[in-house]
Amino acid sequence: MTKDDSNSLMRDWRILVLIAALIFSAISIYLLPPAFDKGIQGNVQLGLDLEGGSWIQLEYKAELVTFETTGSVDELLLGISDDLDTEVSLIETNVVEIRKPFTREELEPVFAQYGATITSYEIGVGPETAETVKRILEEKINRLGTRDAKVNTLTTFGGASRYIRIELAGVDMITAQEIVGQQGKFDIRIQTTGDETEHVLYGDAITSVGNPAQNPIGSSNWGVPFTISDEGAQALREAAIRTGATDRPMDHELMMLLDDEIVYSAPLSSDLATRLKGEEVRNLVASTGVGEEALNRAMILEIHLRAGALPVDVTIAGSGSVSAALGEHFKTMSVIAGIIALLTVGIVVYYRYREPNIVIPMLLINTSEIIILLGIARYFIQLDLASIAGLIAVLGTSIDQLVVITDEVLHEGKVPSPNVYLKRLARALGIIIVAASTMIIAMLPLAIMDLSSLRGFAIITILGVLIGVVITRPAYGKIIMGILSR
Amino acid sequence: MAFDLYDLVNKYPSKQMMAVPLVITLIGLMIIGANFMFTGVPVNLGIDFAGGTAVTVMSDDTPEQMEAYFASYPLISIGEGLNRGNYLRFGPMSDEEFQSLSRAISARYPDAKIDQIGESFGETLQQQALIALLFSFIGMAIIVFIAFRTAIPSIAVVFAAFTDILVTVAVMDVIGLPLSLGTTAALLMLIGYSVDSDILLTTRILKRQGKLEEKLKNAFRTGFIMTTTTLSAVLALLVVSWIGGIEIIMQIAAVLLIGLLIDLMNTWMFNAGLLKWYLQSGKAAKGVNR
Repeated sequence: MTKDDSNSLMRDWRILVLIAALIFSAISIYLLPPAFDKGIQGNVQLGLDLEGGSWIQLEYKAELVTFETTGSVDELLLGISDDLDTEVSLIETNVVEIRKPFTREELEPVFAQYGATITSYEIGVGPETAETVKRILEEKINRLGTRDAKVNTLTTFGGASRYIRIELAGVDMITAQEIVGQQGKFDIRIQTTGDETEHVLYGDAITSVGNPAQNPIGSSNWGVPFTISDEGAQALREAAIRTGATDRPMDHELMMLLDDEIVYSAPLSSDLATRLKGEEVRNLVASTGVGEEALNRAMILEIHLRAGALPVDVTIAGSGSVSAALGEHFKTMSVIAGIIALLTVGIVVYYRYREPNIVIPMLLINTSEIIILLGIARYFIQLDLASIAGLIAVLGTSIDQLVVITDEVLHEGKVPSPNVYLKRLARALGIIIVAASTMIIAMLPLAIMDLSSLRGFAIITILGVLIGVVITRPAYGKIIMGILSR
Repeated sequence: MAFDLYDLVNKYPSKQMMAVPLVITLIGLMIIGANFMFTGVPVNLGIDFAGGTAVTVMSDDTPEQMEAYFASYPLISIGEGLNRGNYLRFGPMSDEEFQSLSRAISARYPDAKIDQIGESFGETLQQQALIALLFSFIGMAIIVFIAFRTAIPSIAVVFAAFTDILVTVAVMDVIGLPLSLGTTAALLMLIGYSVDSDILLTTRILKRQGKLEEKLKNAFRTGFIMTTTTLSAVLALLVVSWIGGIEIIMQIAAVLLIGLLIDLMNTWMFNAGLLKWYLQSGKAAKGVNR
């Protein structure tokens, strides 16, 4: 290669685009924002299975029903709400959200009673309810100070939000279930005799909840202050006096139940017992005891009190967790897998061409493709184990296509004149574009579906193929010509 | 050289070349049919689709010890990796049972990966996966037809992709690899890979000038090296994920490995045979001179 040649090679747009993309990626991964303390991964976002953490996917026990009616919609709503004994709300002119689980078969006769027919039925809730649930969950999670949490609504093709997925980095499964799995039928009861208890008030009587606080201030005694409504205060006073709790608090503990499970139980304090004899008390404090443990208990109790109740019942559709140590192990193995795959490919290609001048550019192009891919992907997806597999599959496709280019232009081992060369390169790129389009089409459904764990895989594959066709393959064609025509 | 590997593609008459993959496809169909008769599904469903719990633990415990430890839970199978990695599958269970299981796991195996899928969620995933597979396949077929605009070569490519998937699924049935999210993704990817080599072959044969034997031989050389490099990357992936106990990558790699081997056969026996027959019978005259 003369100096002129190498200059023209450096000025070629294909090469310039490649270099620009590489610089952009390096900056994205390590400089924007600066990520020198994060090690080799830089700003690349890692999924739960590489970082450690838990996920829980909840399914709404509710449905969206599209109906047709000639009668009054208001009457229909009132009617079905009454008959089904549940909350219903109109989310579009002819779509109603029913907040209890019923099958379509169960609903059809009810709708028919009011002269309406069901045209479509889908499990899930409307966008507004989904947003509310998301907010409640986020608040619950934030209160615990979890460092990295994501709450995502998964919507079906029909437009119903059917699932909600919560991802908590660095939290184990049992804690995660405690945070989100439970939800709220909050019930305060009072002990009557022995194991018997009596209902006092429900969660709806709780009007506000404060942060865990020392009680009294400056002590190591922790508690959660909360306020109840006038009716609640009245009910509490009546129950306390009737059961005799005001006289013998120790025999008549006040209990808080969440979904029929006792989350808190303690006797009335002597101070409260005395006050209740004379008046209704709206401001209460649930003491959780002394020390660190008590503070933790107070924080969880606060969530139960504050945002315990979701507007819709949910069931756990799926869940999972990875320990931090195992995530670390997977991370190491992923890097090793990438390096070994690259080396293996290098050996095989070398065996075929026996020409370092071809093999080294191939491997360099391959590596830069992965770097560019990571640099772009870091802005919008998390890398999980499945996407690592996608990444290595991209490496495979990429080598495939570099072989096509090499063989196409090196027809019968000779390097043709630049004109013929470019024509052949164009033909090779033609083959590659068709192959790339099929790969993209094949992966597209997975990329747009909420098929949970496979989205990353599909997006990485599509992105990799695109980068290959637009950036690295043309550059490789140019480089290999420059090198071989020396 | 006494033996030229790449000339193999010219050694046999086209009908003989096509017969072998066709017979294998038929056998594949029979295996899938038998599986369907015995289990009610064409391919065994993994926990992603059937519901259940998958657990990866790093432990020196023997399978017998684990079986004893988890005796009160619906344990289906224990798979052993190379390097202390174990992959346990449990059937569907209630929320309470699952919570007690996750406590049991974290008590004895704190370094674990647990994934639980409910039955109804599994069914939703199943439907979505089926739709994805269908859409991918139809999309691929459309692109192939647009690219070649001639019926026989296009049908050959689409058919080869179809048989790739079919025979791969049959092999999965035989070796007991379940259909999971990972293997579904791999099957979809196979559609892309399968078309890769077919397009190379078809373009080289139909759009290049020269002697048919020469073109076939050259296409085979390129295609063979192409698929073998991909195969080597996938093999590396399989080995590392096996050693590292990364089940999902192992499943993806295993399916890709099987699929690529079958694709090698389908492309260079069936598809090459069909194109040879197509050109020799003169049916393509119009297409070539187009």
